[in-house]
Amino acid sequence: MLGRILQILIKELLELSRDRWGRFSLLAPPIIQLLLFGYAATFEVNAVTTAVLDLDHSQESRELVSAFTGSGRFRIIRVAADEAGITDAIERGDAAVALVIHPGFAQRLRKGQKAPLQVLVDGTNSNTALLALGYVGQIVGTYSTAHMIDLANRVLPGPRTQLVEVRLEERPWFNPGLDSRWFFVPGIVGTVTLVSVVNLTAFAIVREREVGTLEQIMVTPIRPFELLIGKTLPLYLIGIGQVFMLLVTGMIWFGVPFVGDPFVLFVGTSLFLLTSISLGLLISTVCTTQQQAFASNFFVINPIFMLSGFTTPITTMPAAMQALTYVNPLSYYLVITRGTFLKGVGFGVLWPDMLALAALGLGLLGLTILRFRKSLD
Amino acid sequence: MPERILQVVIKEFLELWRDRWSRFRLLVPPIIQMLIFGYAATFEVFGVSTAVVDLDHSQESRELVAGFGSSERFHVVEVATTSQAVEAAIEQSDATVALVVHAGFAEKLRKGQPAPVQVLVDGTNSNTALIALSYVGEIVQRFSAAYQLDLAERVLPGPKTAPVEVTLEARPWYNPDLNSRWFFVPGVIGTLTLTIVVNLTAFAIVREREVGTLEQIMVTPIRPLEFVLGKTAPFFLVGLGEVMLIALTGTIWFGVPFVGNPLVLLLGTSLFLLSTLGLGLLISTICTTQQQAFASNFFVVNPLFTLSGFSFPISSMPGALQAITYVNPLRYYLIIIRGTFLKGVGLDVLWPDMLALAALGIGLLGLSVVRFRKSLD
Repeated sequence: MLGRILQILIKELLELSRDRWGRFSLLAPPIIQLLLFGYAATFEVNAVTTAVLDLDHSQESRELVSAFTGSGRFRIIRVAADEAGITDAIERGDAAVALVIHPGFAQRLRKGQKAPLQVLVDGTNSNTALLALGYVGQIVGTYSTAHMIDLANRVLPGPRTQLVEVRLEERPWFNPGLDSRWFFVPGIVGTVTLVSVVNLTAFAIVREREVGTLEQIMVTPIRPFELLIGKTLPLYLIGIGQVFMLLVTGMIWFGVPFVGDPFVLFVGTSLFLLTSISLGLLISTVCTTQQQAFASNFFVINPIFMLSGFTTPITTMPAAMQALTYVNPLSYYLVITRGTFLKGVGFGVLWPDMLALAALGLGLLGLTILRFRKSLD
Repeated sequence: MPERILQVVIKEFLELWRDRWSRFRLLVPPIIQMLIFGYAATFEVFGVSTAVVDLDHSQESRELVAGFGSSERFHVVEVATTSQAVEAAIEQSDATVALVVHAGFAEKLRKGQPAPVQVLVDGTNSNTALIALSYVGEIVQRFSAAYQLDLAERVLPGPKTAPVEVTLEARPWYNPDLNSRWFFVPGVIGTLTLTIVVNLTAFAIVREREVGTLEQIMVTPIRPLEFVLGKTAPFFLVGLGEVMLIALTGTIWFGVPFVGNPLVLLLGTSLFLLSTLGLGLLISTICTTQQQAFASNFFVVNPLFTLSGFSFPISSMPGALQAITYVNPLRYYLIIIRGTFLKGVGLDVLWPDMLALAALGIGLLGLSVVRFRKSLD
């Protein structure tokens, strides 16, 4: 039995090494994905394009505007003379935010009345708009307080008004700079591995079936089970290799830390590869042509991505979608990759995710073996 | 000539609609994608799991903590008695945010000294962390202002200094509730159309080449240009149909508004389809097997997604990547889609994007026709 498995293993590895295109397709896509996401995938908002309409022309209003430029978060691209100028800037997408200071702003401030600042924001990109509004709030808050201190000191020579100051000390853990790269790089390790392993597995078998060589193999003395192991073991090794490659690239190229225990990641990756390979096999029992195997990416892989927490948090999804994430291997694996990369947690914290991955992997594998035998009969 | 083109068009349509599987493939994946994106892709942050420890036990600290309890943005999952306990909650991912009010908070406030409040946040998901922090800031600010008002009225019986305040009037345009769905649903139309049309075109030709029927067709009196036109015209119509299907699903099912002019969208879509057909054709001249055509998704379609502004704002990308987005047809199409869906702008605003799409489309289509002729020789 071992000899027969070894033969298949050698055949698969030979096939892979003979094929320049095959080797290329193993190495290039993961690296491209990592570089793209590492550089382009950022939710951070800096240098928000801003248009300003200052109808007050006072010292106060100018100070407020310079608080925006001074923050580094906003870049003033237009100083408009009227409302139409502001509307136009937002409509054309030239500015994402517009500040409108109405006449009487300074006067109201001096009188101690509420002085409104109107902020128009292009809500098309809701996430950018949310973040930008948060920064606007911070800047206005700081300005308010500073102004209040100033006024209190000037106006009241007698008993000083005490000024309340709650100082917020923000301590982001695991990612002190709140760098999106640190969030995405460990995630990419999961998504790239899933895509390449599921597709390699599915295509490896569907192609043999389409070309007819699968039947030729089945008339040899090999048993279905041995064929499966021989076929999938190289894929497991490829998967481990890819994770290792992505890990090293992410650490060296992008400087994302890996603070955890490599062994924990290795165990998690092995369990995840078990599920991915089983999923690929399952797809291969359902699809008869390569085109169908390709289309399975739409039906299987994309939903798995979307419901994994890779970009959008699971906790804010509707309950029905959250329920689906519990049978999604990627959502567990992402907890493991992010946990080992950034948090440095071990089995003590990650065991439920490991267990879930193992259960999913074994379940999928069992189902696949049943279906695979049938599909050969 | 028109008759020969018509023959190819009829043949392609027959092939597209020939069996249940191909019909299924055209209709179901787009709808699945739309539903998943509509439901699962949300960046909004609400119900953030929060752990609280109040070591001050004062009225002030209780009021501050109550501000978090009553906000729907935060969901207090744990009220701890030691700061170690909240740290553990973050480590084990039971809480995303932890609020630590140290002893002496109220005393410092009363003395007019800066009173620190510590906020620990799990920075793994940097985006959620950023948004959550800005909400924390808002709540703390509100507490400060209320306390200030209270203090002013209690301490100074004489001439009252009402607290000066700049009030923020935020006006999100085009998406008043900053709903992520309004951002993603129009975007999904662009990404899905790109994937479907590029792949249909590339696969249709690569398959014929792989199976050998391409050579059979070429020995008929048809000319390469006629063949290309006949091959691509059906996909153009399919693309228009897909846009209609997805746009209707998005507006009817998810209630995303379409405030613009449908004719503007139709024009933009037609120009975009030129680019996608050109791209698919170009891929088919480079790839000789279906597997390679499949892999082109990694090399071409995925980078186009990431660098389009579909989920990540282009303005925050590094300069070199921003430069690449100018030759990305999806970038322009997303501006047109979001512009017509949400902003309701017309050709006067969108003409530069239309022009860019037209130039890209003609360029890509021209290049691919030239290459296609060569690949036949």
